[in-house]
Amino acid sequence: MNAKHPLEPIPVTLVTEPIHLVPLDADTALLRLPANSGHGHADGEQCIACAMRTDVRALLFDLLEGAKQGLRPGFKRVVVDASAVADKGQVIAALTGKLPAQALRDHTVARLFYLAGAA
Amino acid sequence: MSQHDDPHIPDWNEVRTALTRAARERILILDGAMGTMIQRLKLTEENFRGERFKGWKLPLQGNNDLLVITEPKLIEDIHFDYYMAGADIAETNTFSATSVAQADYACEDAVYDINYQGVIVARRAAQRAEAADGRRRFVAGALGPTNKTSSMSTDVNSPGHRAITFDQLVEAYGEAIRGLVDAGADLLLFETITDTLNTKAGIFAARKLFDERGIDVPIMISGTITDLSGRTLSGQTPSAFWYSVRHANPFTIGLNCALGANAMRAHLGELSDVADTFICAYPNAGLPNAFGQYDESPEFMAEQIEGFAAAGYVNIVGGCCGSTPEHISAIAQAVSKHKPRAVPTAEKFLRLSGLEPFTLTPEIPFVNVGERTNVTGSARFRKLITAGDYTAALDVARDQVANGAQIIDINMDEGLIDSKQVMIDFLNLLAAEPDIAKVPLMIDSSKWEVIEAGLKCVQGKALVNSISMKEGEEAFLHHARLVRAYGAAVVVMAFDEQGQADTIERKVSICTRAYKLLTEKVGFPPEDIIFDPNVFAVATGIEEHNGYGLAFIEATRQITDTLPHVHISGGISNLSFSFRGNEPVREAMHAVFLYYAIQQGMDMGIVNAGQLAVYESIDPELRDACEDVILNRREDATDRLLALAERYRGAAGKEVAAKDMSWREGTVEERISYALVNGITEFIDADTEEARQKLPRPLHVIEGPLMAGMSVVGDLFGSGKMFLPQVVKSARVMKQAVALLLPYMEAEKLANGGVETERQSAGKVLMATVKGDVHDIGKNIVGVVLSCNNYEIIDLGVMVPTAKILQTARELNVDIIGLSGLITPSLDEMVHVAAEMEREGFDIPLLIGGATTSRVHTAVKIHPRYERGQAVYVNDASRAVGVVGNLLSADSKVSFIEDIRKEYAKAAAAHERAESEKQRVPLEKARANAFKPDWASYTPPKPSFLGTRVIEDFDLEALARYIDWTPFFQTWELKGRYPAILEDERQGEAARQLFDDAQLMLKQIIGEKWFKPRAVVGFWPANAHGDDIRLYKDEGRAEDLATLFTLRQQLSKRDGKPNMALADFVAPDGVPDYMGGFVVTAGIEEVAIAERFERANDDYSSILVKALADRFAEALAEAMHERVRKDYWGYGADESFAPDELAAEPYRGIRPAPGYPAQPDHTEKTTLFRLLDAEQAVGVTLTESYAMWPGSSVSGLYFSHPDAYYFGVAKVERDQVMDYAERKNMPVADVERWLGPILNYIPGPAIVAAE
Repeated sequence: MNAKHPLEPIPVTLVTEPIHLVPLDADTALLRLPANSGHGHADGEQCIACAMRTDVRALLFDLLEGAKQGLRPGFKRVVVDASAVADKGQVIAALTGKLPAQALRDHTVARLFYLAGAA
Repeated sequence: MSQHDDPHIPDWNEVRTALTRAARERILILDGAMGTMIQRLKLTEENFRGERFKGWKLPLQGNNDLLVITEPKLIEDIHFDYYMAGADIAETNTFSATSVAQADYACEDAVYDINYQGVIVARRAAQRAEAADGRRRFVAGALGPTNKTSSMSTDVNSPGHRAITFDQLVEAYGEAIRGLVDAGADLLLFETITDTLNTKAGIFAARKLFDERGIDVPIMISGTITDLSGRTLSGQTPSAFWYSVRHANPFTIGLNCALGANAMRAHLGELSDVADTFICAYPNAGLPNAFGQYDESPEFMAEQIEGFAAAGYVNIVGGCCGSTPEHISAIAQAVSKHKPRAVPTAEKFLRLSGLEPFTLTPEIPFVNVGERTNVTGSARFRKLITAGDYTAALDVARDQVANGAQIIDINMDEGLIDSKQVMIDFLNLLAAEPDIAKVPLMIDSSKWEVIEAGLKCVQGKALVNSISMKEGEEAFLHHARLVRAYGAAVVVMAFDEQGQADTIERKVSICTRAYKLLTEKVGFPPEDIIFDPNVFAVATGIEEHNGYGLAFIEATRQITDTLPHVHISGGISNLSFSFRGNEPVREAMHAVFLYYAIQQGMDMGIVNAGQLAVYESIDPELRDACEDVILNRREDATDRLLALAERYRGAAGKEVAAKDMSWREGTVEERISYALVNGITEFIDADTEEARQKLPRPLHVIEGPLMAGMSVVGDLFGSGKMFLPQVVKSARVMKQAVALLLPYMEAEKLANGGVETERQSAGKVLMATVKGDVHDIGKNIVGVVLSCNNYEIIDLGVMVPTAKILQTARELNVDIIGLSGLITPSLDEMVHVAAEMEREGFDIPLLIGGATTSRVHTAVKIHPRYERGQAVYVNDASRAVGVVGNLLSADSKVSFIEDIRKEYAKAAAAHERAESEKQRVPLEKARANAFKPDWASYTPPKPSFLGTRVIEDFDLEALARYIDWTPFFQTWELKGRYPAILEDERQGEAARQLFDDAQLMLKQIIGEKWFKPRAVVGFWPANAHGDDIRLYKDEGRAEDLATLFTLRQQLSKRDGKPNMALADFVAPDGVPDYMGGFVVTAGIEEVAIAERFERANDDYSSILVKALADRFAEALAEAMHERVRKDYWGYGADESFAPDELAAEPYRGIRPAPGYPAQPDHTEKTTLFRLLDAEQAVGVTLTESYAMWPGSSVSGLYFSHPDAYYFGVAKVERDQVMDYAERKNMPVADVERWLGPILNYIPGPAIVAAE
C-alpha cells in the first residue's frame, strides 16, 4: 500500500556560502538558485512564469518531473545552492512549508522533499 | 470620477461577429507586455499617487493598475504604440484590479474606477490608431487570477484550508467586470490563470451580469503552464483545463506567460486538437540569459511564434512579459504569411475533468462510478466520515481510483453530520491529493444546497447527481441553469410532480420533457445530460413490481433512440433489494440486468465493481431464473428465483465451508493450516498428536505446520482478508495445540538432563497496563496477535508499577516493552516509564498504545524523554506485527526508526503550529461569554428523593437490551455501525461470526448469572457559584455538603457560541436546583471468569467476556439514567424511547463523567465517590490514577437542564489553571499534572504578563 507515498521522501541539503564545496555523487542532484529571474520587471511581479525561476519548490518539482520524463537521471538527494540568493530565509521558509503555496506542485514538493540540513 | 468620459458601448453581438469573421481570415494580433513598458518609464512614487492618492497610507509604487487613473496619458500611449505595431486587440491595464489583489495596497475602493478607466484609456488609444490607419481595433478588459487560490490551500501543512471562497471571488470578479463592461470593453480576458476554480467563479460572475443585462460579451480564457509537468499551476492538463471552462462558450482558449514560446508549443498543440473554439497564445519573451537579456529578441520570438502558425495551432497571437512593440511588430509580420487555424468541430461526447480529462467515447461501453465514497452506499465510509477520520476516508477514495474508477461519487447525506460542511471539507482535502483529484467527481446529494456547495469547491468539470422535476418546472430550470453556470454535467432523475416514474411511458415522457426544457430553455448541451430512469426492486412478491426491470431496459432504449446524445445511468443495487444477504444471487441479478440494459444504451452506473459477476460465468440455471425475473418472462419467475436462491444463500460465507468436511481429507499439515485459518478447535488435538508422531520432535510441530498455518493467518490479516476476531480464534487453536505438546517437550527436556531446548521465538515482548490503570482489552488483543506471529509475550497485567516493568524487562532480557492505558493520567505515567528507561540505560523500543494515547502525544511528550531507545505509537493490533517486526529486524530497524523520527518531528512541528495558531481567550472573557439560560422563566425539576440509594435488583436480560453494540465491534477493530456492520461487504462475515459468539455467551451470562450489577445514585440541592457547583446538605441550602469544580472552554468562539462550563447548566443562587451522581458496575465477577478462560488457553473467550462486561456496565449506566429521568428525578416521565434508541441520546439531560471532555479533571471523581460512598455501596474503588476498579464500571454526574449537552473543554490557559487551583485549594503543580493533556502551555515558572 504505497499509493500514498510513491517515492521515498528526498532530503535536501542547503548550501548558503558561495565558496562551500559539497561532494556530489551519482544519486545527488544539484540545484543552483539564480540570484534573480532576470526579467525586465521586478521579480515575480505580474509574471508567474519568471517567479518560478527563483522558487526553490518549483525548481525541485521540475527536477522530479525531469527524472520522471527521463530528461535527467534519477536522484535520491538534492543539494540546493542558494549562495546567490539574497534572502536565504525565503528558501528555508519554502523548504519547511512556511511559504504560502502558489500551486498544486508546492503541495507535492512539501510531501516529497524535506530540509535535511545545511552544509 | 471626473475622468468618466462618455464611454463607447459596443454592440457585443456585432463585435463577436466581426472578430469571428476576421479570425477566420487571418491570424489576429494581441498586444505585448504592459509591465515591461511601464518599467522602462522609471516612474516614481509620485507618479503612482497622482492627485487622488496623494496622502495614501501605504507606498503605491508597483501598483501599476493605478496608473490608468494617475498617469492616464502614459498608459494610453503604450496602448497606442502596440496598436500601431500591429495589434488588433489591446488588453487593459487592469490585471490586478480586483478587490482581492488591491487589498495589498488598501486600494479596494478604487477597483471599479480602475477597471472603468482602464477601458476608457485603451479606447482612446484605439480610436487614435483607427483614425491614423483606418483599421478597426478592439479593447479586451483584462482580468488577472487574483493573488489567492480557491481550489488549493496556501498552507502545505493544512491542505483543507482556503484563503478565499468561490462566493468571495464571484463578488470580487463581479465588481471588476462591471467596471469593464460599463466602460464598454469589447471583450473580457481571463488571463494568467493560476487556479481554474477562480476562473470558474469569474465566469459565473460574468454570466450573472450578462443575464441581468441581457448582453453577451465575448470571453477569452488564457491559462498558464510554467513547469515541466505540462500542467496548470492548479495541476490540470491542458485538456482538463479546457473541459473545465468550456461552459463559458469562450471566444478563445489559450495560454500565456510561459517561459518562452517553445515551452508552450506542445501544450498549445494539445489545446488546438481538443478545443472547438479559437486559440490564443501569447508567451513571454523567453528565458532571460546569464546577462539578464532576453534570449528571444523580436526576430527570434517571431520566428518561434511563426512556428505555431505554420503548425496551424493558433488564431490569435501576442506577447506577455518581456515583449515590446518591436516584438509585436515582428510577430505580426511573421504570422501574416500563414493561414489561421481551422476550428475543428468536437464530437458530442460527455467530457468531464478532474486534474485529467475524461471523455465518454463509444469505445467505453459502460462507466462504473465508484460508490465507496458515498455514505449511503458504504457503511465503512459513513463511519469514517461521522468519526471525522478524513485521512482514512481519503484512502477509500484513493483506493477506488487506484482500482480503476473513472469517476467517483461523493455523497455525504447522513443525518448526524452537517452534510454541506462535510462535503466542503472533504472536497477541499481531496483537491490536494493528485492521485484522487485526477478523476472527475460526481457530486451527489438529495439536497440542492449540498450540491451547490460542492460545485463551488471543484475546479474540474463535475457531474451533479441529481436534479429532477419533483418540485415542478421552475425549480428544475433554476437548478439546471445553476448547474450549467457552475460548469457541470447533470444526472436527471425521471421524477416529476406526480412522483417517480415507474412505467415505460412515464419514464420516457418525463425524460423527454426534461430534455426539451434543458436543451431549448437552458441551452444545456445534450451530451452533458444523463438520465436516471429509476432502478426499482424486482421479485418483491408484489405483482406490479414484476415489470420494473423490463421497464427500465425498454425506457433506456426509447430514450437513447429519441433523445440524441444523452446518457443513461442508474443505481443498480436497488434492483436486488429483496435478496439482501444473498450475495451470489444479487451479483447474478446485477450482471444480467446490466447485460441487457447496456445493449439498449445504458452507459453509466453506480455499482460496486468488486461485486459484479461475469454474465457468461453465471450458473446457467441461476442466470435463466434471473432473466425470467428481470425481463418478466413468466408469471412464476419470482417464486422460482426465490426457491433457487435458497441454494445460494451464504454460499460465499465460511459457515457453509465449515460444515463442508472435505478439508479433513488433506494431509495433516493441510488440516492444521485449515483449522488455524478457520479457527476450528474441534480436531486440533487429534491433528496435533498425529503430527507429533509423524515428526521427530514435538518442537518441530510448532516450528513446522503450526507456524506455517499461523503465517497464512498473518498474511490474510495483513492484507485485510481476515479480521481481528477471526485471528484471535486462530490463536485459540494455536494455544490449544501448543498446550498438548508442552508435556512432551518437558519430558524431552528431562531426558536431555534438564537442558532447555527452547523454541526459537521471534522475540520477547513485555506488555503492561501502566500503574493506576485497569483497562487491558486492547493490550490483550495485541498480545494475542503478536503471539500468533511467534513472539513470546510476557504480560504483566494491569496496574503495573514502573519498577516492576523495568526489573522484569532486565531479568528476562526482553526485546521490546509495550505500554497500554485508557485514562488520561496514564499518559503521564507512560512519560514517566520512558524517562526511567532512559535513566536506567535501556535502549530497547517502547511501544505506546491505548485509547487516549496518540501519535502527537507520543511525538511531543514521550519520544523526547527516551533518546537512547525509540518510543513508537501503535494504536491497533493490525499495525503491531509490522512495527515489532521492523523494530527487531537488523535490516530494517535503522531506517524504520529514522522514518519514525522524521514522522514525529513533523507531527511535533505541526502540533506546535496548530497550537500556536489556536486563539484562546482569557478566562475573564470566557466567563463573560458563558452559557446563560433564562433562569427567570424556568423552574428546575425536583428529584423524588435527596441523598443516595443503592440498587441491586437488576435483571441481566432486561439490561442486555440497553447494550450499544457499535463500541463492541470497535473493540475488535471492526469499524462500522451496528447493525449495518453485519451486512458490510468486507467485514460483514467476521462481524456476524463475532456477533453470534457474543450472543451465545450473552445467553450464558444471563442464564448462569455471571455478573452481579450494582448501582448507587444520589441527588442533592445544588446551585452554581461562578464555575463551581455547590451541593447543600438539605433544602435549607445553608450548609455546604461539597463543591464540584468545573472547567470552562477558552477557545475563541465565533458566531456567538458561548464558552461552556458544566456549572452553566445549574441555576445560580435564588433558583432551587439539583444535581445527581452515580456509580454503576457490572461487578467484580468478570475478572475471575476471564482468568478462567485464559488458563484454558482461550484468549478469545477471555477477551469476549471482558468486552461484554464493559458493554453491561455501559448498558447499566444507560438503563439507570432512564430510570432517573422517568422516575427518580421524574422530568422525563413521558419518555417512550426504545432501549436501542437511547445510544443516540434523544432524551433530555446528560451524564458526563469526570476525566472526560466536559470535565477533564479525573480528581473530581474523589468528591463524587465520597458523596455516594461508592466503595461501601457498590464495591468500586479508585486507583492512584483515578481509574475505577473493577474496570467494568461507569460513573458520572446528572444534569437535568433541557439545554445541557456534551461539549469538550479542550485546552485551557494558565490563568484558568491558577484560578482552578485556588478554588480547589490544590497546589498549581498538582493541577497541572492532572490536567497535563489539556494544558495550552508548557508548565513552568509563570511568565510575568508582558501584554
